[in-house]
Amino acid sequence: MRDVLNGALHAVDQVLLGKPHAVKLAVACILARGHLLIEDLPGMGKTTLSQALARVMGLSYQRIQFTSDLLPGDILGTSVFDRNSAEFVFHPGPIFAELILADEINRATPKSQSALLEAMEEGQVTVDGATRPLPDPFFVIATQNPVSQSGTFALPESQLDRFLMRLSLGYPSLSAEKALLLRGGRRARLDNIEPAMTREQLHMLQQAVPEITASEPIIDYILRLVNRTRESQVCAWGLSPRASLGLLAAARAWAMLEHRGYVIPEDVQAVLPAVVSHRLRASEDPAGHGGGGLAQWLLNGVPAV
Amino acid sequence: MTGSALIPRNSLAWLLTAQVVVLLPHLPRLPIWVAVLWMVCALWRVQIQRMRWGYPGIVSKALAILVSVVGVYVTQGTLIGLDAAVLLLLLLFMLKLLEMREPRDALVVIYLGFFLIATAFLFNQSILLALYQCVSLLVLIAALVGLQQTSGRNDPGRALRTAGVLLAQAIPLMLVLFLVFPRLGPLWAVNSPGQQATTGLSESMAPGDVADLAQSGALAFRVNFEGPIPAHEQLYWRAMTLSQFDGRRWSHTAVGSGGGPGALQVEGASIGYRVVTGASHQPWLFSLRGATSTTDELVLTRDFMLRARRPISQTTAYSATSWPDSLLDPQGLDALQRRLYLAFPEGSDPRTREWAQTLRRQYPDDAELIQAMLQHFNREPYHYTLRPDTLGEHTNDEFLFDTRRGFCAHFAGAMTFALRAAGVPSRIVAGYQGGEVNPRGNHVLVHQFDAHAWVEAWLPGRGWISVDPTFQVAPERIERGLQEALRGEGSFLQDSPLSGARYRSIGWINNIRLAWDDVNYRWQLHVLGYESERQLDFFRRWFGTADWQRIAIIALIAAAVVMLPLALWTLRPQKRSNDPRKRAWNKLNRRLARLRLQARDGEGPRHWHARLVTALPAQKPELDAFFDEYVQQTYARSVPVADPASAAVLRSRLGSLLQRLPRKRRPGPVTLID
Repeated sequence: MRDVLNGALHAVDQVLLGKPHAVKLAVACILARGHLLIEDLPGMGKTTLSQALARVMGLSYQRIQFTSDLLPGDILGTSVFDRNSAEFVFHPGPIFAELILADEINRATPKSQSALLEAMEEGQVTVDGATRPLPDPFFVIATQNPVSQSGTFALPESQLDRFLMRLSLGYPSLSAEKALLLRGGRRARLDNIEPAMTREQLHMLQQAVPEITASEPIIDYILRLVNRTRESQVCAWGLSPRASLGLLAAARAWAMLEHRGYVIPEDVQAVLPAVVSHRLRASEDPAGHGGGGLAQWLLNGVPAV
Repeated sequence: MTGSALIPRNSLAWLLTAQVVVLLPHLPRLPIWVAVLWMVCALWRVQIQRMRWGYPGIVSKALAILVSVVGVYVTQGTLIGLDAAVLLLLLLFMLKLLEMREPRDALVVIYLGFFLIATAFLFNQSILLALYQCVSLLVLIAALVGLQQTSGRNDPGRALRTAGVLLAQAIPLMLVLFLVFPRLGPLWAVNSPGQQATTGLSESMAPGDVADLAQSGALAFRVNFEGPIPAHEQLYWRAMTLSQFDGRRWSHTAVGSGGGPGALQVEGASIGYRVVTGASHQPWLFSLRGATSTTDELVLTRDFMLRARRPISQTTAYSATSWPDSLLDPQGLDALQRRLYLAFPEGSDPRTREWAQTLRRQYPDDAELIQAMLQHFNREPYHYTLRPDTLGEHTNDEFLFDTRRGFCAHFAGAMTFALRAAGVPSRIVAGYQGGEVNPRGNHVLVHQFDAHAWVEAWLPGRGWISVDPTFQVAPERIERGLQEALRGEGSFLQDSPLSGARYRSIGWINNIRLAWDDVNYRWQLHVLGYESERQLDFFRRWFGTADWQRIAIIALIAAAVVMLPLALWTLRPQKRSNDPRKRAWNKLNRRLARLRLQARDGEGPRHWHARLVTALPAQKPELDAFFDEYVQQTYARSVPVADPASAAVLRSRLGSLLQRLPRKRRPGPVTLID
């Protein structure tokens, strides 16, 4: 198992150069059965990351480019009348894949957004009255473009809460970029990587995550963190119980990636910025973006031991 | 407008409650329109909170201010003075509701509330009000706490609990400040509020005035005797002399009381006592015959009274010593005094004058003359009553020879007039007679209905002597009090059905009344009466000094002594943990702190471990061993098990690590590399 996980991380690192921490968080997010929101400028490797993850994990992959004229049917699929059999035949939409890249999710109308977000939450879709299960594992990576927000529909807080983590890749280091320029583009690298695990192995790993020991001191630490956001006046509102559950799951997945059978405070600290920053708002700026500053404030202000 | 700048609903509820609570003690003095205005303001503010209505504009606000000011002027007749000022303050307190947008504005309302709590004590200093204002404080602090609560955490009960804890923590400091804070004199003179409302003696007296006073069951003052309480008939409480007669009224004159203390020749045994009196808004005080006092605030007058330097506007306590058998002015009267005490209007009461001159011819000796007059009152069918007949032009004539029914003022007035007509210098003494002994506090209560008037006559060689014609008519009044004297008439406090004193005959009511009176007495004596003089006594008794510098130091020390345990308890370090892992962790960190190595806020054990290894490379094996064991024991089990074996392992690893740590403090601050 250790080799499988290391191999997967290594393979993705080969494509997305110089971003081992982001890659590890993304893998942890998959292991914790959470969905991932990537927020970054165009061309930073969002698509590359999602494609590489799909390939390494051996998952079927679909990409949905969200545009303002996208309709829920374009995501979920439609029933088409078949003249030969004289009945409606369901043509599944791109959502029936194991890993979905919802590109620029904030460009679509709220109606289409909610079609995807409901599918994320329920694990199934209902089209024409028939409920159809989505594949398992089912994993959504949504991307958002923070600039040129005109004509976009920003995800409301309630929708943001459904993503386990929000990542931002950021610019690569100069050396990583040099390597990228020297040794051909990402496309070629993507084609080169091999699946590091089978679907069954991934399933096993996902099932092993809740087995990771989270001792009472760790639970207390998470409660202290969450309570701080609820009691302090710095935050406009506190973290929800869904956030604390997500924090615990992500910390467990992180501990698994660290090859440890139990969670230590550092695991919580490693995942905390990604898990909470999109759920928190400063009280001076409750309509704002929320962010890393609050996560850092939280980490520094709450005793870990 | 952002979410944080709104006033929490919880806090608004507390704020409105606090306003009602703060306004209530002022209610008896408030015109009804003020209460209506409050309701309008509160309703408006609630509607604003519910986003039904908007905030008033600048015009309506200006209009509200104008209407309030005019309203105060119309009701009070002035904008200056205590009543009007407090009313204006109350109005501001209410109107501020309408521009309370942000927590900052709510703070203004709350601080105004604190101030208004203080102003209520300008009108009333009773123990009930003090207890009530503690509740007001609690509610105001709860509003303050509610203002600081974040949304989602706004539990009104929690705000109240926090406020209660805060208040309780402040009590020790409050006590220290009460004892040692300097009692400053008033910085400015405040017009005494509600002057017309108090009942009591006045500076002039017509027959029948004292009878009105006798219908009041209010308390005049309390006395605590150093020795045993003297008999009822000896308790003649002197307040003032009335020496000028205009044919109908007897009045106090400055000539009678002014010009330094009278010549007191001390004789006989002394009686020491302490008097606590409420706000009478008059300067005179109450004393037994032949009184002196060491209290600075008092002066002795020419007519042997105690008098305050300024009108008594708050509860006041003073000590006095009296020599009832001493001689007053035995050497003689000067011409001015003599003229004053012999004067009466020409043409007034011809029959009385004639009667007095007849007696004079019969008894050339002054003392015998007085005896004869007293005997006249004793033998003739005079009647002591609270319902005297109305008298016409010559009051003394009609009373002495026609109606023969009167109250003490009738008897004293007639006798003084007769004495003056016979050429004996004399005056009326107004004050109180008797009092009710409260066995619980061993003190005497003197009520307004104990008001009395009697006669002082001046005899050569013996000075002023007191005679009481009422005693000749109704000795039970002097020996046992007014209620006994009026037993047959049934007129005792007949207009005050709610007065507790009226029901003295019902045992349990009387017990409750006396117990409550005792509580009040102690409150007045020890809390309200704790003025600068008593404070200095307190300092002398406990600290042996009354020097302000040393007292300031003592006060600081006392405050520190009181607050230190509280502070230590509040800021106590993490209490010793039951968890052996936690104990080992704390022990290590305490030791490392001496080496100037300290974990960052929120630093996890692994990061801390890594930093320590960089700082103390020589101890790496021991550090690794301890931290591995610690992390294993703390985090690798879902429920921590405190078995002795693993605790021992951790202890031994901690022991070997501590042994290897350098003993000495490392010089200078240590910068650690991440």
